[in-house]
Amino acid sequence: MTSHPANGLDDIVHQRVRLGILTIAHEARRVEFSYLRDTLGLTAGNLSQHLGVLETAGLIAIEKGYAGKRARTWVTLTKAGQAALEDEIAQLKLLISRIEPAGTSPS
Amino acid sequence: MTSGTAFSGDDPRQLLSGTRELTRQVRRTQRATWFPLLVLAAVTFAAIPFRYSPHRLGTCAATGLARVCTAYPPALLVYWPTALVLAYAVIAAFYIRRSQARGVGTRVRPYVVAGIILALAMTGSLVWTLYHPLAFTLAGPDLFSELHSYPFAIGLALVVLAWAERNGALLALALGYLTVVLVTATVGSVSGHGWLGFPVQVVIPGSVLLLGGIGFLLAQRPWRRAA
Repeated sequence: MTSHPANGLDDIVHQRVRLGILTIAHEARRVEFSYLRDTLGLTAGNLSQHLGVLETAGLIAIEKGYAGKRARTWVTLTKAGQAALEDEIAQLKLLISRIEPAGTSPS
Repeated sequence: MTSGTAFSGDDPRQLLSGTRELTRQVRRTQRATWFPLLVLAAVTFAAIPFRYSPHRLGTCAATGLARVCTAYPPALLVYWPTALVLAYAVIAAFYIRRSQARGVGTRVRPYVVAGIILALAMTGSLVWTLYHPLAFTLAGPDLFSELHSYPFAIGLALVVLAWAERNGALLALALGYLTVVLVTATVGSVSGHGWLGFPVQVVIPGSVLLLGGIGFLLAQRPWRRAA
């Protein structure tokens, strides 16, 4: 018996904001806190909470530094984060492929 | 600017389309295609005066009944690699500065590395060929004259930039540009690399870079800061 693809979803990654953070970090390679905040439309506190969850899970690395006099926080995807993102995308595609034939089939 | 509406909902289709929209948004923020095109257009046009220096490097060799000679202005041999390495350094600095200002990483490194390697490899190959003129007759003179062109090296590096930026429009431009370079090099060969041959080989490819750069500048509108 094969398990339903929903069982393969990781609760940490299968969350709209955290999936967005991983997607942006993957494409950008290195992304700054303010870019994530503005692009995802979050408050700084809310974003920090999500980043904390991802960092604790080892999916991202956070680096703090300065650009001139401005404090900057940079986020990069770890190898585990890359694998988790790829797995989540694959599971989502699998879920959609299971849903669509049932939804589009004629009655 | 936010994409909160574009990335909302927990439906798998919405999540997947949201990730695609975010990917597109990051790529739009990262791209600055207009800058390398305009810099390389300037480098290409600035090469023209160096062609008319009176000195020539090269040698002659006899093969059977034919005598094959090579000649190339040493000023161009110094100009092209120097100008291209400097240009790629300026492009790298521009992308890095822009990346820091916008808060997203840059994918320029493979392009800059490929551009510098191609410029230096082109110089080494050109110098070797100048002192081994029989190589022309073995592989065909047209092949060597067309591939021994710095604009050709610029075009190959642009293909790398198109791959790095995941930029289909730039890939189309780079392939069109390479075609123009090969065609104009053939015209230059037919006209015997005379007073008209070199400007044709340089002005037309340079114009393609210039027009492409202006086109991308208008499309990417860097003065309108992306989120």
